Amino acid sequence: MDSFSSPSTGASPKFSPDDLMDQLKLQLAQAYAEEFLETVRGKCFEKCITKPGSSLSGSESSCISRCIDRYIEATGIIGRALFQQR
Amino acid sequence: MDPSSLNSPELEQFINQEKQKAMVNEMIGKLTAACWDKCITGTPGSKFSSSETTCLTNCAQRYMDMSLLIMKRLQQ
Repeated sequence: MDSFSSPSTGASPKFSPDDLMDQLKLQLAQAYAEEFLETVRGKCFEKCITKPGSSLSGSESSCISRCIDRYIEATGIIGRALFQQR
Repeated sequence: MDPSSLNSPELEQFINQEKQKAMVNEMIGKLTAACWDKCITGTPGSKFSSSETTCLTNCAQRYMDMSLLIMKRLQQ
């Protein structure tokens, strides 16, 4: 398929449906990742940084890394509970 | 962009699939956030306790039950 051709006419480039789908997939994946990141930031800040000090303590850092792991795990548990239940 | 290139059955199918996926993703995301707040009350440990796991599962399933109940109630 000559999706990105048409150099001579100067018309706007034609995208094939396949190009569009690839582009959409990429952007959707980015959007999902960003949203997830934002949620995890909120939840783990709430749990682990209860009293912000002058720097991030070691226990806060390890709490954050456990929190991230547990949040990912929780997402899996919820997904399974909803879609392969009982 | 040439709009006629958008008249593609595959593209339409793809978009419908992605819509579906987005709905599922959103649902899981929202429920995870809500159930996390309800079930994970202490600081996160290196492993979920069995009661935390059970709480998360129950939380998601009861939410679905509730949604059904609300629909029924509002249809009366």
